[in-house]
Amino acid sequence: MDNKKITITINDQQYKVDAGQTIMQAADQCGYRIPRLCYHPKLSIEGACRVCIVQVAGMKNYVASCAYPVADGMKIDTNSRELRQARRDIVELLLDNHPQDCHTCERDGNCELQRLAYSMGIRHRHFEGERKHYDKDLSSASVIRDPDKCILCGRCVRMCSEIQGVHCLGQAHRGFNTVVMPAYNMPFAETVCTTCGQCINVCPTASFVEKNHTQELFEKLNDPDLIKVAQVAPSVRAAIGESFGLPPGRNMEGQIAATLRRMGFDYVFDTQFSADLTIMEEGSEFLERLQAKGPLPLITSCSSAWMKYMEQFYPDLIENISTAKSPMSMASAMIKTYFAHKIKADPKKILSVAFMCCTAKKYEASRPELDVNGMRATDIVITTRELGWMTKSAGIDFISIKPEKFDEPLGLSSGAGAIFGVTGGVMEAAIRTAYELYTGETLIDIEVNDLRGFKGVKEAKVVMDGQELRLAVAHGLGNAHQVLEMVREDRDRFHFVEVMGCPGGCIGGGGQPYATANSIPLDEECLKARASALYGLDREKTIRRSHENPDVQRLYREFLGRPLSEKSHELLHTHYKAKLPRGIVSPNLKVV
Amino acid sequence: MTATYRIIVCDGTSCLNSGARTLTTVLKAQLDKHGLTDKTTVSLSGCLGMCDKGPIVVVNPGYTLYGSLTEGDIPEIVEEHLVKGKPIARLAIQEDHLYNRFFRVFGDAKFFGHQMRVTLRNCGIIDPESIDDYLSLRGYEALAKAVTDMTPQQVVAEVEKSGLRGRGGAGFPTGTKWKFTAAQVGTPKYVICNADEGDPGAFMDRSAIEGDPHTIVEGMAIGGYAVGSSKGIVYIRAEYPLAIRRITKAIEDARAHGLLGENILGSDFSFDMEIRLGAGAFVCGEETALIHSIEGARGMPRPRPPYPSVQGLFGRPTLINNVETWANVPVIVLDGANWFRTVGTETSKGTKVFALAGKVVNTGLIEVPMGTTLRQIIYDVGGGIPGGKAFKAVQTGGPSGGCLPEQYLDTPIDYDSLAKAGSIMGSGGMIVIDEDSCMVDIAKFFLEFTQNESCGKCTPCREGTKRMLEILTRITEGKGQAGDIDKLERLGKMIQKASLCGLGQSAPNPVLSTIKNFRAEYEEHIHDKRCRARVCENLVTYEITEKCVGCGACRKVCPVTAIAGGPKKQHVIDQDKCIKCGQCFKTCKFEAIAKV
Amino acid sequence: MPTPLELIKKKRAEAVSRIIGKGYLSTKRVYVGMATCEIAAGSKDVMEVFRKAVSLGLTDVYLSQKGCAGRCNLEPTVEVIEAGKSPIKYGKVDTTRAQEIIERHLKKGEVIQEWVID
Repeated sequence: MDNKKITITINDQQYKVDAGQTIMQAADQCGYRIPRLCYHPKLSIEGACRVCIVQVAGMKNYVASCAYPVADGMKIDTNSRELRQARRDIVELLLDNHPQDCHTCERDGNCELQRLAYSMGIRHRHFEGERKHYDKDLSSASVIRDPDKCILCGRCVRMCSEIQGVHCLGQAHRGFNTVVMPAYNMPFAETVCTTCGQCINVCPTASFVEKNHTQELFEKLNDPDLIKVAQVAPSVRAAIGESFGLPPGRNMEGQIAATLRRMGFDYVFDTQFSADLTIMEEGSEFLERLQAKGPLPLITSCSSAWMKYMEQFYPDLIENISTAKSPMSMASAMIKTYFAHKIKADPKKILSVAFMCCTAKKYEASRPELDVNGMRATDIVITTRELGWMTKSAGIDFISIKPEKFDEPLGLSSGAGAIFGVTGGVMEAAIRTAYELYTGETLIDIEVNDLRGFKGVKEAKVVMDGQELRLAVAHGLGNAHQVLEMVREDRDRFHFVEVMGCPGGCIGGGGQPYATANSIPLDEECLKARASALYGLDREKTIRRSHENPDVQRLYREFLGRPLSEKSHELLHTHYKAKLPRGIVSPNLKVV
Repeated sequence: MTATYRIIVCDGTSCLNSGARTLTTVLKAQLDKHGLTDKTTVSLSGCLGMCDKGPIVVVNPGYTLYGSLTEGDIPEIVEEHLVKGKPIARLAIQEDHLYNRFFRVFGDAKFFGHQMRVTLRNCGIIDPESIDDYLSLRGYEALAKAVTDMTPQQVVAEVEKSGLRGRGGAGFPTGTKWKFTAAQVGTPKYVICNADEGDPGAFMDRSAIEGDPHTIVEGMAIGGYAVGSSKGIVYIRAEYPLAIRRITKAIEDARAHGLLGENILGSDFSFDMEIRLGAGAFVCGEETALIHSIEGARGMPRPRPPYPSVQGLFGRPTLINNVETWANVPVIVLDGANWFRTVGTETSKGTKVFALAGKVVNTGLIEVPMGTTLRQIIYDVGGGIPGGKAFKAVQTGGPSGGCLPEQYLDTPIDYDSLAKAGSIMGSGGMIVIDEDSCMVDIAKFFLEFTQNESCGKCTPCREGTKRMLEILTRITEGKGQAGDIDKLERLGKMIQKASLCGLGQSAPNPVLSTIKNFRAEYEEHIHDKRCRARVCENLVTYEITEKCVGCGACRKVCPVTAIAGGPKKQHVIDQDKCIKCGQCFKTCKFEAIAKV
Repeated sequence: MPTPLELIKKKRAEAVSRIIGKGYLSTKRVYVGMATCEIAAGSKDVMEVFRKAVSLGLTDVYLSQKGCAGRCNLEPTVEVIEAGKSPIKYGKVDTTRAQEIIERHLKKGEVIQEWVID
């Protein structure tokens, strides 16, 4: 950006602003907040909704302030009577083609369109007429698409293609019949949708929502024959507070444990425990491959959306993917074997529920290859958002409830398990353990700063016993695409690659609380705050390396033997196979 | 017409000023004197584009052009040329302009008299599939001249000086576009011909490509030379198979003759072309949507800036012009910007092609100098309104344009005058409307088109045009409400100012211009439930008059048995039962059923 | 090395001689409109009639196609150009009229007034 200062006039007042920015950016600096809808700072400029129009002196038509650059001496009007009416009419036109069922809508009270309509002062309607009607797509295990609620801002389309590189969504048909859909309007379940749920995060309305499993869970919680077991992912505790009006970044793990017990769970475990377990397996797998010279690089497999993306677009890298299951599936496998045995219960009577920041985990839970002894390992997956709603619905005072601890034997975790929720965390946790396993010495400086932060692709080097390890970390599937292309080009470039499907890692998962009236979806400040909650959690712990977790050690002693044992392979590892997108016949076909 | 000689006197403004009418009088007197009146026809033509040499007289056959004439020259021409058959070399203009080919064949017909064919100069003259035909008429000489005698900067300067403006509709100065693209550093750059003609009833681009494809190829090659591009793309709609075939053949033939490809005509300049087919979305005529379409994405416009000249196809600087604009380029290069500037008006230079259609005697493709009035086009070229009907309006600019009533007939055709009158130049659609058409229905027709063709990206166009159409539909169905006109105006003005691209910004024009000029018709529909043109079915009542012979044909076709009457007796329609399907009206052989 | 301008003039001369070689200097030239609109109005059949006549011995006629001249309401159009005479343009030519034009105009030199476009 140009550092030159220029003078512009907004609503008759002069301001000095940086050149080279848009009218909207300049106005933001000058204390204005031009109403906006399709705009998102992380996505390309669409200029579609026309809510952010302003009048520039000398121009016949309004311009979209999100797209139009400022120029020296420009005179801008953001709030004339004429503009206010035009903007009001534009938002009213959106409402005219939108179902008027706000009070029964998932986004009621947390809908950008609703907020906009209110602030535009729409109290009467002038232009009502025909409304579109399409069927909902309920086919996906994770994401529901409801075109009726779509206002065609295109954020989901841009998110899916620009950030996630999946290109599953696009606009189809023309004019009033325009609708966002996968190619040929295929059911979501049959498309390349990775179920990451980022479309839900950026959707201003309820056109995309997660498949809701709260009713099913409430039903099962009433079943006296079931032993109800919960596990809670790291990132849930860092974000759930936002569902109750708290600022992002408060660690609420004690409140969650207390809440789940009041909701009817018999045991509340911590997915951070199984994150430690994942490190034991994956770290050992890495060392084994390092010594056997391959296949390297080892690529992490914790992120469910990433796994589907890989199977579809990078099946040639399957041999590089860690066979270790995700922490969720490891925990569920242990719940239905080790834990069931410990409490002398029939595993079929155990209801295993995972509270996740993720919509893709709903899909992962449904994968048959993750079944344990013929049983589904994870019976129900509930997102952070769903948990927030369930808590309110069950009448639990989440904010002032007295924090409680997780249950044994799957509740104790190291700091390494906590940082799994942030991009770079899995790698950092793995290094902490691998270093010691490889060198026999304890890694002192355990915070690997090169692996932290929100740069799309991060690279770092670590030296173990004279052996230089080249590491890469990517978050968001679009960034993953970049790293994987590097890997395809040169398999020796990296030894170890971490990929997280969502921007920021799990803390930016598709199941996290919606942005509030004063924030934007996937705001980097919000992600940073959530991340700092997990890093803080790590720092507070006395045990910060996975292999030092006494309950993990006990698990190996009592049940699994050692990492990569036969039992480990049976219960904690899995396999992947190519799932080529429809119409693609050769796995060698590169994604461009 | 078997006259021995056919004489044309240029009746353009400049020639008029230098005494053309007096010449005509003298000429007729001389013909009379020599007894040639019966054997000779004398007609007046529109500007022939040689204003500096006026007054002009053309003698056919032979196409002898006499210029800078005085009254004293006339007796000599009659005696020597017409009587003795010896053309007078001293008075003849020897100049060989590209544009004036057409008159050798067509200059004498009434239809073409007021036309001036610059971009269509070869259309209807040559075999479009023969590069030899094109070469024989100084084809590719402009390109050769550019690469031999001119620097790219000089070519850009020449186009800029010519005053040529974009013929796709918006009228942006072409030279400015070229200058911006030329100023961008780095390669590749692209040159695109926008042949995604989409206005209903418009076929200017199709005819131009079908009739003279090499002109486009040559124009684009010159454009590539001027802005530093070696790659041209013709984006043409797949519904034009013949045009596609001919331009494809033209490109292949040009390549075979070394007029495209590496080192054209032995110069340092290399340029090649390819064809991209559009799937027929109207919005793909918008340049950013067109570029998206070529890139393989959905054809949706994006906000500008950045303009394509800076960031266009595949993010590279791109020069994109319409077919007709390209067709002007060889003429400007060869005949010079100075000549080009002599044609047209102060702000709009050159000629404009129109697809003349609707209620006019001579429908067809015409090309007239800018500044020709609507009246001249409709009455002189078009031959007026057929069937003795009254003129009601002329619609220019297709679905993006407006309807102008009688009082605007003397508006000269140029970008600014048409805009001032409340319509637009557009790409060249011109539809003449007579008293049998309902203006609300016309507005509805065009809005229905744009509403269907909206890409659906921006809210005002996608949702707003739909609501406007709903209001218009209910007005034509007799369900109009007080306040509907205000709503149409409120929505229309908002859509014009707030839409993302030109399609949306111009979509309300047909409605707003008809409201402005024919407000009474709207009010009659809404308040009196009456359609004066008897077009809107719900507002029409069918009645049987005394012309009825009682044949019973109408009674038999009526689907709701609303017609009663015995043999040879006047039948009657039960208005409560009638569903206004119009079957009886169509069936009656005795014109005994009236729409009232 | 000739300049591009010199080259193109040479190419033009070659083109002209090729056209002449095809019989352009015949006493009569006939052009049939062959744009999409003309074809839709039936000009392909008309062209066929002329082609047949030429192949059956109408040797002094140079037959060619042309693009749209703009006379939409009078299509298909056919032009007959004879050296030293004003070009004659026929409108709404169907196969019957084409046959007549061949018999009366091309063979006997008679202009069929009622079909001429003015």
